[in-house]
Amino acid sequence: MEANKKMCLALFTGSVDKLTAAGVILSGAAADDMDVDIYVLLQGARAFRKDVADDATKLNMAENPEMKDEFMESLKKLNVKTWLEFFREAKSLTNVKVHICGLAGKVWGADKLEQFVDITDDIVGIGEYLTAAQEADVNLFI
Amino acid sequence: MTTDELQAIEVNKSVDARGTSCPGPLLAAKKAMGEINSGDVLEVLSSDEGTKKDIPKWATKKGHEYLGTIEESGFFKIYVKKG
Repeated sequence: MEANKKMCLALFTGSVDKLTAAGVILSGAAADDMDVDIYVLLQGARAFRKDVADDATKLNMAENPEMKDEFMESLKKLNVKTWLEFFREAKSLTNVKVHICGLAGKVWGADKLEQFVDITDDIVGIGEYLTAAQEADVNLFI
Repeated sequence: MTTDELQAIEVNKSVDARGTSCPGPLLAAKKAMGEINSGDVLEVLSSDEGTKKDIPKWATKKGHEYLGTIEESGFFKIYVKKG
């Protein structure tokens, strides 16, 4: 078997709609057995905080903010997983590493790994992101 | 394969992913594929339109053999032989 393809995701967003999209893409990567490195940047780090991640009421919408209720209800009706469930499932199926940008964490008052949800692997600097981006087959910024 | 041939095929594992939306059926297929042996046939039931194109492409890319799809009313059945 040839080596797994690599995906590098710069996850800037902390919005529930964009995080859900990232989760769907991540699922596709998992089905494809890709190795995925996720670098959580500024707004994203807030969403990964333990006290925020699982609580959609604490997350905004990036687009059509006035339609959040409709959006969330529709996802529920369609039996779509939450963004965090998507991330968890992908991680259980393929090699997904979640790296939090150190600065981003500090901006939101969290500089220790245990302050973030359990799918978080480490806190890193921007150099690591660029190295992973250079090696990846697929690069995304969400 | 023709619909008649597909209907007569011996299925080793069937997953019912109806009621889930993309990427549900694809992930269900991926998981089920990990539980069967090379040469076994997997049947995926889906009501998600996108899956009809998604699973055949994924299967071929992963080295499996896409056998065909049977349309039912309100859902369809996709057949893949594990490579």
